[in-house]
Amino acid sequence: MIVADRVTGAARSLMQRTAIAPAAGLRVLAGSALLALLPFAFRLDGHAHADWLQFIGRFHPVLLHLPIGLIVLLPVLEIAGARRPALRDAADFVLRAALVLALPTFALGYMLAYGAGDMGTTVTRHMAGAIALCIGLMFCMLVRPAWAAGEQTRIYPALLTATLLILVWTGHQGSSITHGSDYLTHYMPGGLGRWFASGARDAYPDSFYSQHIHAVLDAKCVSCHGASMEKASLRLDSYQYLMKGGKDGAAITAGKPEASLLLARVTLASSDQHFMPAEGRTPLTSDEISWIRAWIRDGASPSATSVPGVNIAEVRSDPPPQPVGDYSALMADILRVQQGQGAKLVPVSGKPSDGLILRTVDVTPSFGDAQLAQFSRFAPYIVEAELGRTAITDASFDTLRTFTHLRALHVDGTAITGSQLARLAPLSQLTYLNLSGTKVDAQSVASLKSMPHLRHIYLFNTPAEPDPSAARSTP
Amino acid sequence: MKQHPLCTDCEPEINVMDLPIPADLKQAWSTMETRRRFLGRSGKVLGWAALAGLLGESAIRGHAGGGDAKNSSAAHPRNDLGLPHFAPKAKRAIYLFMSGGPPQMDLLDYKPGLAAQFNVDIPDSVRGNQQLTGMTAGQAHFPIAPSHWPFKQHGQTGTWVSDLLPYTARMVDDLTIVKSVNTDAINHEPAIMLMNTGNMNAGKPCLGSWLAYGLGSMNDNLPTFIVLQTMINSKENNQPVSSRLWSSGFLSSEFAGVGLRSGGDPVLYLADPGGVDREVRRKMLDAVEQINRQTLADVGDPETNARIAQYEMAFRMQASVPELTDLSKEPQSTWDLYGPDAKQPGTFAYNCLLARRMAERGVRFTQIYKRGWDVHGDAVGMLPVLCQETDRGCYALVTDLKRRGLLDDTLVIWAGEFGRTVYSQGGLSAENYGRDHHPRCFTAWMVGGGVRPGMTYGETDDYSYNIVKDPVHVRNFNATILHCLGIDHNRLTYNFQGLDQKLTGPVPASVVQGLLA
Repeated sequence: MIVADRVTGAARSLMQRTAIAPAAGLRVLAGSALLALLPFAFRLDGHAHADWLQFIGRFHPVLLHLPIGLIVLLPVLEIAGARRPALRDAADFVLRAALVLALPTFALGYMLAYGAGDMGTTVTRHMAGAIALCIGLMFCMLVRPAWAAGEQTRIYPALLTATLLILVWTGHQGSSITHGSDYLTHYMPGGLGRWFASGARDAYPDSFYSQHIHAVLDAKCVSCHGASMEKASLRLDSYQYLMKGGKDGAAITAGKPEASLLLARVTLASSDQHFMPAEGRTPLTSDEISWIRAWIRDGASPSATSVPGVNIAEVRSDPPPQPVGDYSALMADILRVQQGQGAKLVPVSGKPSDGLILRTVDVTPSFGDAQLAQFSRFAPYIVEAELGRTAITDASFDTLRTFTHLRALHVDGTAITGSQLARLAPLSQLTYLNLSGTKVDAQSVASLKSMPHLRHIYLFNTPAEPDPSAARSTP
Repeated sequence: MKQHPLCTDCEPEINVMDLPIPADLKQAWSTMETRRRFLGRSGKVLGWAALAGLLGESAIRGHAGGGDAKNSSAAHPRNDLGLPHFAPKAKRAIYLFMSGGPPQMDLLDYKPGLAAQFNVDIPDSVRGNQQLTGMTAGQAHFPIAPSHWPFKQHGQTGTWVSDLLPYTARMVDDLTIVKSVNTDAINHEPAIMLMNTGNMNAGKPCLGSWLAYGLGSMNDNLPTFIVLQTMINSKENNQPVSSRLWSSGFLSSEFAGVGLRSGGDPVLYLADPGGVDREVRRKMLDAVEQINRQTLADVGDPETNARIAQYEMAFRMQASVPELTDLSKEPQSTWDLYGPDAKQPGTFAYNCLLARRMAERGVRFTQIYKRGWDVHGDAVGMLPVLCQETDRGCYALVTDLKRRGLLDDTLVIWAGEFGRTVYSQGGLSAENYGRDHHPRCFTAWMVGGGVRPGMTYGETDDYSYNIVKDPVHVRNFNATILHCLGIDHNRLTYNFQGLDQKLTGPVPASVVQGLLA
């Protein structure tokens, strides 16, 4: 009783100091209590509810930025109001408007989560933040008149500051739900990022699961099936969760792609209501689906580093081409050289920065090292050299190594031996090298291993051909 | 009208220029008469030079540019168009055209649910109010004919392929299979025109001509666009394939496809007759060129330019075509891959091998026509023959291009003009069925530069009748092909009859991004 008396006494004295009418205070207290009880009345238990809830709830993202804007405007008006009192009058209106908008925003958000059956720590935090925010706004409204009248100086600024901090935190939780928890930190510069990076480390960082399966799930699934949101009680953000499955059962049946629910859901017709990713999010590509299928078929191991038949080198795409400089001043020279000997320099496209192709097909038998050397002055503009079946020899590498922007080199069916192949090493852009029908052997081809982007090497009909049935090889 | 210098049987004609009429009328006449003159003359010139037959249609029609035709290096790609619009993934394309309309549900569009519905009428809700062809519109029943052949999953992608295509099955992981191509036409001629030219009516340039016009030649000694026809198998139901399909339409006829014959000499009268050596031929062509230039100066008809260029091309082809078609230096591995058919000129496998050799030699666009897919009846008898003829060639071509490093910058396309119905045309028995034309969905595939390997795009319903996901209209299919070759279909246009004409036509088309690598 004494404690209760004390509390009542303190409240009364506070109310007197802040000039709060008891009726208004009671209304705010009652409203706060209602808000705080809401999560207990309608628990977010992961079960979806009526569709109309979701329909209305989806207007949450439309509405929410309005109250945010008003709340952020509030301190600006209050501070600027020190000089221009009219702004303080406006602040009162803005505060009321913010509350009037914040409440339906909260209601819509709740309907969205409740209707869709969302759950998870981030959703819970977002909801708690929103409740605190609404309560904070109501109390701000309660104490502001006294502050505006100059009867009380500290409580309102403190409350407003707290409300703003809650707003930032709540907003961050909300955007983590839509954009993923690493949205802010993903492109953060290295040094900064370390402070924020999650401590979780994969047990097998080099495994096929970590490199490919997890990467796909992380990009396409985890925003709804992860720590922040566990739709259908399914989490896909770690191997253990993935294998545990969700409320519809196991997501993965090792060794049996056709029995794996996850695979079934991502391969349904996109119009099917069970199709995943749902709600128009980016579907998995056929490559990604085929990796998952192959990985499940191979036993869905967390540690295996490769899966039979999936060639990772091939699924990596080539680096973006480096633009070449402007060669328009050399056009007269270019025309003179090609008129003289018949080999052509052809633009890759209408964009000069895409470079030139050296094309020799019209003069194949007569195009040798001397003719090639004439093109060395255009070296930095040549991105592709079509020298297949020409008369060039190993001496051509003196010229070829100056083609610094070369991406594709065809020397198939020529007399080159491979002894000079290592001299191509400075050509950092080279992605394609056709050696078919030459005398190159495996040893000289091995010297190309160090070239970073060289992925398409053709050795058909050479001593270096690894297996007559599989001509394509990657170093 | 002046008599043509080489024409011996011309009747004397009234020369408008000699008539007592005002000079400006004569001027107007000389600019307007081109077509009349062209038509009148081309009928006569057909007879006088054996070389005219040499390039078929292309020799008779027009040409722009070229300049000094003797200097081969002067015939540059048409950089003035600013093409390609962007760096292309594919420099060249090979189109395997399955004329007649292959039945998609017997080859690549697996419908496991059909087996249980043998001889059940297809639900009206599926067929809707579709207008059928005259061949089946009168049928009282539309009984479902499940495919006669089992399907199996192949490759890492687990793609379902009919047992009819054992070779295609080996390369499914490389293919981009599109199950949702659809067209507007239900009969062969309009459908095949639409597929090739983007329009059901004749007179528009085909895909190959647009490519030749837009991208130009890569090899001055061979035509930019070559058409190979496969020998007819008389047991099959062969729909006609005409030169309209490789016509350059309103573009200069320089860009029309050059057909190589399927039997005998690939190009008629290309070899010099006895007693005429290359020197004599050169002199003769120089003389003809002089006369033609005179005609050009007199009349100003651009078609004369085309004629001059075609003579020169023919002269160069005298050397390049025998080398192209000489298969004696092909290693044994080639024959192991393409099979024994490839040794016989005119077979599909032989054409596939030629297509690879043309790709090596810088032919921009090769189109192989295989007729006979029009299986209205006896599908069970005909499909094994058709597949046996084509399956290995397709596989060999793709594999050969791949191992030689050509598939990176070559786009290979396999398609017909439409699909076939799931219901049987005529009687359905336990052993046999026929299938009618079906424009609502059909299956095509692509492979190579620019497209994403190992994927299936689009889906059809349980009857392979309607598209349920990602439809690809013919114009979008063509827009995607152009995209792979570095062309924005909206920007490759030609002003004709007051319109900026384009391959995809006036209806907006879009590149199917989902097919791209």
